[in-house]
Amino acid sequence: MKHSHIYKWLLLIFFLALLFFLPMLISEFSLSLVITMLIMSLFAIGFNILFGQAGLLSFGHAAYFGTGAYTSILVYQHFGLSLLPGILAGGICSVILGVLLGVFIVRLGGMPFALLSLAFNMVIFSVAEKWRALTGGEDGIAMQRPDLFIPGFGSIDMFPTINFYYFVLIIVVLCIAYCWWFTKTPLGRLTLCIRENGERAGFIGFNTYATKLLVYLISAFFCGVAGALASSFQEFVSTSMIHLHQSGDILITTFVGGIGIFWGPIAGVCFLTYLNDTLSSFTEHWVLIQGAIFIALVMYVPDGISGLTMRMKARLFDRFK
Amino acid sequence: MDYISILPIQALHGLVYGMLLFLLASGLTLIFGMMGVLNFAHGALYMLGAYLSFTVLLWTDQFWLSLIIVPVLVGFIGVFIERVFLRKAHAHGHVAELLVTFGIAYILEDVVMILWGSEPLKVEIPAILAGSLSMFGVTYPTYRLFILAVSLLVFVLLFLTLIKTRAGIIVRAAVDNKEMVSALGFNVPLVFLVVFGVGAGLAGLAGVIGGPYLMTHPGMGAVILIDLFVVIVIGGLGSIKGALLAAILIGTIQSFGILFIPQFALFFQYLLLAVVLIFKPEGLLGGSK
Repeated sequence: MKHSHIYKWLLLIFFLALLFFLPMLISEFSLSLVITMLIMSLFAIGFNILFGQAGLLSFGHAAYFGTGAYTSILVYQHFGLSLLPGILAGGICSVILGVLLGVFIVRLGGMPFALLSLAFNMVIFSVAEKWRALTGGEDGIAMQRPDLFIPGFGSIDMFPTINFYYFVLIIVVLCIAYCWWFTKTPLGRLTLCIRENGERAGFIGFNTYATKLLVYLISAFFCGVAGALASSFQEFVSTSMIHLHQSGDILITTFVGGIGIFWGPIAGVCFLTYLNDTLSSFTEHWVLIQGAIFIALVMYVPDGISGLTMRMKARLFDRFK
Repeated sequence: MDYISILPIQALHGLVYGMLLFLLASGLTLIFGMMGVLNFAHGALYMLGAYLSFTVLLWTDQFWLSLIIVPVLVGFIGVFIERVFLRKAHAHGHVAELLVTFGIAYILEDVVMILWGSEPLKVEIPAILAGSLSMFGVTYPTYRLFILAVSLLVFVLLFLTLIKTRAGIIVRAAVDNKEMVSALGFNVPLVFLVVFGVGAGLAGLAGVIGGPYLMTHPGMGAVILIDLFVVIVIGGLGSIKGALLAAILIGTIQSFGILFIPQFALFFQYLLLAVVLIFKPEGLLGGSK
């Protein structure tokens, strides 16, 4: 028992060290790919706090990702804020949207929850598409990412990919660490309890509505931060970031990675991002192959890559016993 | 604009689109009611119907042949999907099933693009339906009336089957309580298979008649799927009467919305959906079981 804990920490330290030294090992193009992976990992983890932890399947999380993305670009553009306040503004605006929608959405569960989140996503999408004066409609807005300004230290130029990589790395690691810590808190435990049997949790005396709303908002915040990072990275935002496809993609990614284990969604992101990149370089019809792989995974490995890994590890250790 | 003379036309537009939606929504809502699967592939099957019809027309130039053969073909594709993919995923729960249909929609969309290209196709309307009819001083395209006629016919047949026949009674019973139906000795997986096949066939039929009316392009399935979800949720998941009511409601909202406030035509139906889900989550006619 104690040993496995030490292994886990060693593994974590190894991965963090790898991520730290990565820019020295790989090309700038691959580094961009890793930045995308980091950002999408945060999105997937934020999504899975709701899906895996609280058992609430949302079809509409692109609304929060997109809100974060638009907010950060818009505050750079209109208020001339620097990078960090822009990212924070993205997360905060997503939380505000989350409060507005959450008070209705969280009252439901199961399929109605999923469908109402889909409906709200469509509402937000149509608003973003029609409100061209603010969002630029389908053409989107292009905006160079500003420098990172740290009071008492000065500003850091964020134009080089490597600088932005370290910025994203710090933000993402901090956010994911918080999410991991959250699953260990009493509140995180309570969400598990509500997922398993909400009625009983209510009878014991917990306020299930407030708990679900809070988890919903935490999820919205991190998805918003991920969106803000994504638009700052691409230096561009358009309605495609708020589209239902984005909601579907994150659901697929999270499921492929495995929803039952905390780091599962990260595995899904890395696997699918890498697969997309590889397949799209040597065949035009990578969507077809990706779809087939996805179906095969859902049918034969329903607990995802992380679940498969755990089962294989368990079998391996059994042999040595 | 002279609103008085345009109102009946718009109402008819709404009814035509609404009935087309019902053709699709009836299968979708029955499948959901029985199997608990929100079938994301339904829009893709509709699209497949439209494209297959294009090819049948290209080869034989027989619209009526395509009207019969394509729904059967799409129906068998539906049976294949249920038998090979869904039954396997069923053991892993509803989210897995939903994701499988999601993946199938993904693949079908790409297959269509490989086989037919990504450009929109122009499907010819047969000469006999190409003109327009005048009734009570209103002129209306014949083809849209034909869509209305076909979907009304299907609607009547579907209702008679569901209410009068033994098979229909089993299906309705399975929507309400499939464990009990199974315990009574009926082969529930077979019922699933048939319902999925018929639902797919209806989607194919909607594709054949809807392809020339709306546009035939690879995104058509995804576009209509969203409308369909709105319809079956507003109507009440599993309720076929609710699907009819909601389909006509959505058709009307869209046709009048485009007339009066074109910017927000779609916005209203999502708003309606949100309002229904907030105040009556089981849908308009969903709770009457």
